[in-house]
Amino acid sequence: MTLTGEFFAFMALALVAIIGGVLLLNLNKVVHMVVALIFTFVSIAGIYVLLSAEFIAAVQVLIYSGAITIIMLFAIMLTKPYDDESSESKGGRLRNVLLFLGVVGFAFAVYIGIYNFPIDQTPSDLHVNNTLEIGKALYSRFIIPFELVSVLLLAALVGAIILAKREDKEADKE
Amino acid sequence: MENAWLIPLFPLLSFLILLLIGKRLKEASAYVGILFTLASLVFSILVLFERFSEPTFLKKFDWLTIGDLHLTAGFEVNQLNALMLFIVSLVSFLVHTYSKGYMHGDERMPVFYAYLGLFTFAMLGLVISPNLLQTYIFWELVGVGSFLLIGFYFYKEEAKAAAKKAFIMTRIGDVGLLIGMILLFWQTKSFEYSEIFQAVEAGAVSNTMLTLTAILIFIGAVGKSGQFPLHTWLPDAMEGPTPVSALIHAATMVAAGVYLVAALFPLFTASPTALLTVATVGAVTAIFAASIGLVQTDIKRVLAYSTVSQLGYMMLALGSAGYVAGVFHLMTHAFFKALLFLAAGSVIHAVHTQNIEEMGGLWKKLKLTGPLFLIGTLAISGVPGLSGFFSKDEILVAAWEGGHPVLFLFALIAAFMTAFYMFRLFFMVFTGESRGQQKNVHESPSVMTMPMVVLGVLAVIAGYVNTPWFGSFLGDWLVDGNEALGHGHIEGPIWIMIAATVVSLAGIYLAWLIYGKRSIARDWLSGQGGMLYTVLYNKYYIDEFYQLTVIAFTKGFSYFLRFIDTFIVEGIVKGVSGIVQGLGAMGSKMQTGRAQTYGTVAFVSLAVLAVIFALTGGYLR
Amino acid sequence: MSSVPASAFLALALILFCIGLYGALTKKNTVIVLISIELMLNAANINLVTFSKYGLNPNIDGQVFALFAMAVAAAEAAVGLAILMALYRNKRTVNIDEMDSMKN
Repeated sequence: MTLTGEFFAFMALALVAIIGGVLLLNLNKVVHMVVALIFTFVSIAGIYVLLSAEFIAAVQVLIYSGAITIIMLFAIMLTKPYDDESSESKGGRLRNVLLFLGVVGFAFAVYIGIYNFPIDQTPSDLHVNNTLEIGKALYSRFIIPFELVSVLLLAALVGAIILAKREDKEADKE
Repeated sequence: MENAWLIPLFPLLSFLILLLIGKRLKEASAYVGILFTLASLVFSILVLFERFSEPTFLKKFDWLTIGDLHLTAGFEVNQLNALMLFIVSLVSFLVHTYSKGYMHGDERMPVFYAYLGLFTFAMLGLVISPNLLQTYIFWELVGVGSFLLIGFYFYKEEAKAAAKKAFIMTRIGDVGLLIGMILLFWQTKSFEYSEIFQAVEAGAVSNTMLTLTAILIFIGAVGKSGQFPLHTWLPDAMEGPTPVSALIHAATMVAAGVYLVAALFPLFTASPTALLTVATVGAVTAIFAASIGLVQTDIKRVLAYSTVSQLGYMMLALGSAGYVAGVFHLMTHAFFKALLFLAAGSVIHAVHTQNIEEMGGLWKKLKLTGPLFLIGTLAISGVPGLSGFFSKDEILVAAWEGGHPVLFLFALIAAFMTAFYMFRLFFMVFTGESRGQQKNVHESPSVMTMPMVVLGVLAVIAGYVNTPWFGSFLGDWLVDGNEALGHGHIEGPIWIMIAATVVSLAGIYLAWLIYGKRSIARDWLSGQGGMLYTVLYNKYYIDEFYQLTVIAFTKGFSYFLRFIDTFIVEGIVKGVSGIVQGLGAMGSKMQTGRAQTYGTVAFVSLAVLAVIFALTGGYLR
Repeated sequence: MSSVPASAFLALALILFCIGLYGALTKKNTVIVLISIELMLNAANINLVTFSKYGLNPNIDGQVFALFAMAVAAAEAAVGLAILMALYRNKRTVNIDEMDSMKN
């Protein structure tokens, strides 16, 4: 491993992403958590660039850092924020410790898998005309899934509207 | 003869039919029972006559095969079996007929006839079994039938208790029989009578083991035949309907013990010790039961003790190697004791009491029952010319020739007592002035008296098939082709017959003096030996003795076991159920409805599996 | 030729996934739980893209898959939040511990 610019970029992005995640877990105010997560999402976009996926990186920034974060913020603002994370019952604390151990164990187990995974780093030319290639793939081999995704998005749109809509009865009541 | 297996099936069929549609038949169910037992009787007579001219018929097939071991089932018609078939089906048929009148008006008549059918089936099955295992099965079935019939009036406390007592007491004997049977099987590798006898003859069984098995099997017979010391159930069994007493507790089931000893006679003869045991128990029972019979006041109980005593006689005969005498007496006793019971039933039917103190002067009112009862009484007392005389004489000769002078003396005294108490009973019931308040005492209907007449005729003539004067036809036939059973007729000194006659006549005379002519005060006996009288009246306190020893011990042991059960077994059970309940409560507490908890549990479990997999590499490595 | 090994990307994805998982199972605010789930999906996407470049058979398909995953994630976020709003209108809370009507 040589100290190249790529390496430094990866280290910096990874650090920001992890710090964003840790802040998500440790901050008290909900809005702060979401903001911390924006850093993570943007860093992940950077990681995608390092992985020769410029188009994915752009989409990541648009959808996650943009759209989803904004919806989340709206949701937070529309509901009464529940900030009191400290009022945990005793069983809850035990549960968290247990879960933490479980997560660490899981990470350890998967890391062993990663460590032993044989990856020969063959050079690839994915960075060349990346967006063009994705477009070609989407509109040739993946045309049917692509159309299905559009139907899924439409269904989600309609479903979300119906779910979130105030029912008439309720409206009358209030 | 090859169709002899049908004989037990007729009563079984009757039992099944009555079980299914008895409720609808009501009183008509009597005809079902009578018809089927009549069929059995006809077949039995045919088989008996066929057996006179043909050899023993044996048919069997493999029932169970375990390795090299073949357990068989089947039937056998030898002399003893044919005779027993005849006796059992005849008495059963007569009792069925008699019950038609006696049980008249009883709502549960179909049930009664169903039970009678079951019992008859079991008894007939018992007497044609060719092997011990089959015998044992029917032996227990007979016990069930007896239990059901004794407890027929189950709403009466005494009947319930008597049924339980009969069942438990005979069960004690059955355990002996079972152990003896298993020991025998262990030694000879077979349940077949014939193979057992061959093995015994060939000396394949050691003497000690032979004696042990014989005595254990005899214990079974003791329980069933009401021999001392397991006799106490038999008098109590008189709580059942009187026809049942006549059928089961006089003629057939109690004779099953005697039959068993007779059927296994070669086994017993091979062991002098066992024979002596049989003889001693028989003699002791004979005199012991007779002495109790002297003072009882319940007509059926007197007869019950007389049954016990007569069964003792049979055992004595068998134990003295008098095979013919024992079986002969079994036959004659079946006839005259059934007659006596049926006559007693007729008396009870007429006066509605069983206490002889409340009877008297019935001779003129019961024109048919009286003479029939007298015939039975004369027969059992051993008055010359009637059946009981010949068979009792055979027994006395057998006892004398068997070399047991003491047991012979016992038998003679018992004969005296028998004559005395039977005539005491007769005089108390039929002569003198009426002591009861019964009005309009009338004779029983002919459906009841006809069976009594048949039995009365048999009680007179049955003895002539085997007499010292006209030839011992029965005896010769019984031992034909089987030397192990002894001689057909044992020649005895003539004075024995004279002594027996004198003794029984003396007993009758004494009874007449006290109860007939009243020249001796009635309380002479009780006055002379007050204590003796009390002891006799209370049946030697045998029941009380059992109450204080065996039952008290069993009760204590049961309490101890209950203690274990309550505190240890139940503790364990409760502990286990408590643990399970606790786990369940914990589990249900975990069902909080919180998705995160569920997720945590699922994920942590997955993580544990993943870690184990990562550390061990799974099965693949 | 890259100076950063593929396992480094995978390890980063693993760390982010674990953070998301822990958050999803411990946070009380339902909105944060949803965000944590998005984080887990992102970690999965990193894996997809990494294998698209460094896998045994480098291919553009991995990136296309990541795109589809994002579309599904967006739809999921929209529907999830809509359900959250409906719940909030009924229960007046976003505390996930109080949403235990599954119990009975």
